[in-house]
Amino acid sequence: MEHQLSEKESLSIISEMISQAKRNYQKGGGFQFLLWGWAVMLANLGHYYLQVFTDYSYPYVVWSIMIPAGIVSMVYSFRSNNDQVKSHMDRLYGHIWISAGVGMFVALAFMKELAFNHNAIILLLAAIATYISGQLLKFKPLIFGALALLIGTVVCFFVPVYQQTLVAGVSIFLGYIIPGYQLKKFENE
Amino acid sequence: MNDFKPLDPLLHSQLRLAVMSLLLSVESAEFTFIREKTQSTAGNLSVQLDKLSTAGYILVEKSFKGKKPLTTCKITKAGIEAFEKYVNALKGYIE
Repeated sequence: MEHQLSEKESLSIISEMISQAKRNYQKGGGFQFLLWGWAVMLANLGHYYLQVFTDYSYPYVVWSIMIPAGIVSMVYSFRSNNDQVKSHMDRLYGHIWISAGVGMFVALAFMKELAFNHNAIILLLAAIATYISGQLLKFKPLIFGALALLIGTVVCFFVPVYQQTLVAGVSIFLGYIIPGYQLKKFENE
Repeated sequence: MNDFKPLDPLLHSQLRLAVMSLLLSVESAEFTFIREKTQSTAGNLSVQLDKLSTAGYILVEKSFKGKKPLTTCKITKAGIEAFEKYVNALKGYIE
């Protein structure tokens, strides 16, 4: 038989369990930032290189690396869904990136209507999602990364479309890859 | 004199209260996670989860992870309300 709980014991159980649950924070964010960071940066820079320095007629073909990147990303998030516990933050974190992804897809679908300024819109959506992620995780490098992506957005509107891939490549390096490595290091500590 | 409200007997038990507090703080949790955090035995935890589930305080989902059976628990709206009532009643005893 269990002994009769006192009010104080009840309170200490509640606060102890709540703090136990708190120790679980979002994991795997670093991997996703690095995966997408490298894929998007290489695609942007590859596109820029082929368009500016070669006569190749289909520079956009480099974007096909998004397909394997997407598959790896989905497999990885499906696997990390197997964690023993799912926090409220995990759920919110996932939905921020799903909504940003949907936004990016819409921008890509209407790139013609956007007069091919879609890179700026994509960087803006990435900046917003990165900023919210940084605030959720209380992780400053992501907040600075978001600022770099926002600056990239504004710069895009000041340069011709063919140079926007270069701007996007550099912004993604500053906004995803650098904070991604820092996040990964933080997760492993 | 304070108005002493009765404490929900379903929550006023060490392990059940621990389970509810834990589930309140997360979206969902697996059996093994709850067992580890509450430092309980599988048998006792199973019994207490059944009681909470029968009362409608938690939702217990059974599935498979590969070939291993997997039990996932989640607090329900009724569970959150009962927990809030319990904490409010507790306040009456302490103030």
